Amino acid sequence: MHPDASRDNDLFRLLVQGVRDYAIFALDPGGHIVSWNAGAARIKGYAAEEIIGRHFSVFYPPEDVRSGKPEWELRTARAEGAIEDEGWRVRSDGTRFWANVIITALYDDSGELRGFGKVTRDMTERRRAEQQLTDRRRLLAHLVEAQERERQRIAWDVHDDTIQAMVAVDMRLQLLAGKLPAEHRATVDQLDGAVRASISRLRNLVFRVRPPGIERHGLRDSLAVYLADTSTAAEIRYALEREPGADAAITIFRICQEALTNVRKHARASSVLLELSTADRGFLVRVVDDGVGLPDLDPDAGHFGLIEMRERAESAGGWCTVLGRESGGTVVEFWLPDVRS
Amino acid sequence: MIVRVLIADDDPLIRDVLRDVLDDEPDLEVVAVAADAREAVELAGRHSPAVVVLDVRMPFGGGSHAAAQILRRAPGTRILAFSAYSDAGAVDDMRRAGVTDYLAKGVRNTELVAAVRRLAGG
Repeated sequence: MHPDASRDNDLFRLLVQGVRDYAIFALDPGGHIVSWNAGAARIKGYAAEEIIGRHFSVFYPPEDVRSGKPEWELRTARAEGAIEDEGWRVRSDGTRFWANVIITALYDDSGELRGFGKVTRDMTERRRAEQQLTDRRRLLAHLVEAQERERQRIAWDVHDDTIQAMVAVDMRLQLLAGKLPAEHRATVDQLDGAVRASISRLRNLVFRVRPPGIERHGLRDSLAVYLADTSTAAEIRYALEREPGADAAITIFRICQEALTNVRKHARASSVLLELSTADRGFLVRVVDDGVGLPDLDPDAGHFGLIEMRERAESAGGWCTVLGRESGGTVVEFWLPDVRS
Repeated sequence: MIVRVLIADDDPLIRDVLRDVLDDEPDLEVVAVAADAREAVELAGRHSPAVVVLDVRMPFGGGSHAAAQILRRAPGTRILAFSAYSDAGAVDDMRRAGVTDYLAKGVRNTELVAAVRRLAGG
């Protein structure tokens, strides 16, 4: 062998032996282990001298051994060149880990099967992290749903109970003011004014949290009605290829509502554009205004409902970002996946 | 001429103050007070009011049902819907039932009184 080639081979052998994140080892054509590396020892828990010569089915859980999975994987690798699998594997102490496995058939120059290369990666941590992320999303979705239900309940309670009572008090105060001598009338009128102001604030609250009626009118019309009700001059460019499902629609509506409230309260904008389009198998929405911009764009700041917008988007598996425009004004941009696709 | 008025509202606070506000006017007289839609129809039949001030959401069929029933028996009755709901759906329902006018709760007493007089006069 050429000295350079020999050096390269040594280097390659050291590389394979030294890799700790992957179990890399070889099987003979019958599935017996013929080489072992540091990663294999670490992940599977066997020392080289314990495992070399044994059949690789020792890594599989009993149910897989019974169903013939190890042999089936070798046959498939032989027929198709390689096979990739994800599943449970067993360590030397009997505990299980979630593995990503690639078995590659190794042929020599004459086309004869010399054995198999097996690369195994321990995915337990990643799987756990993914599981946690899924759980977190599910929890957030439940929270948002519960919040939606709760705020609607509060809205109806305030509307049907509190406001009614205050209307009665207001009418009573007006009646009373008319019967009082002038020196007391001013006081009662003042009270009446305070009650009327409270009624008006409560009505605004109810309006903000009441159900937007998306099931009945669809998202586009609900947004249009909301814009009309709040006297917001905005253009809607609605280019969704598919109507969002009920959950996505309410999320889109609420985030737009939050963004438009910011525009009304802070932006002093002369025009607002609401753009809804289909992107990356989901819904991309932009609320663009030409106002003064938000003074503090720190998304972690508790202002402007930014946290709520972001949480709503993230709980639906999407994202939300708020940007200042170079030409002035603000863009609230968010994306939600179309979970039905 | 004294205008005979029937009030129907399921909220006792509103009911009582409505009666006092209208009775306080020399030309208006509250002849009966109903707490739900069924009672409203029954009392309208018994007292033949010229004007009915009718809540929209009430037990036993709501204001629109009561309005239709009252007008079927006494087509000359003028009905003023007086509601906490001012959305298009609620207003349309009441208009279809034959209600003459619609006021949202929270208007000034003077507006309410003026509306009752206007209905009685028209």
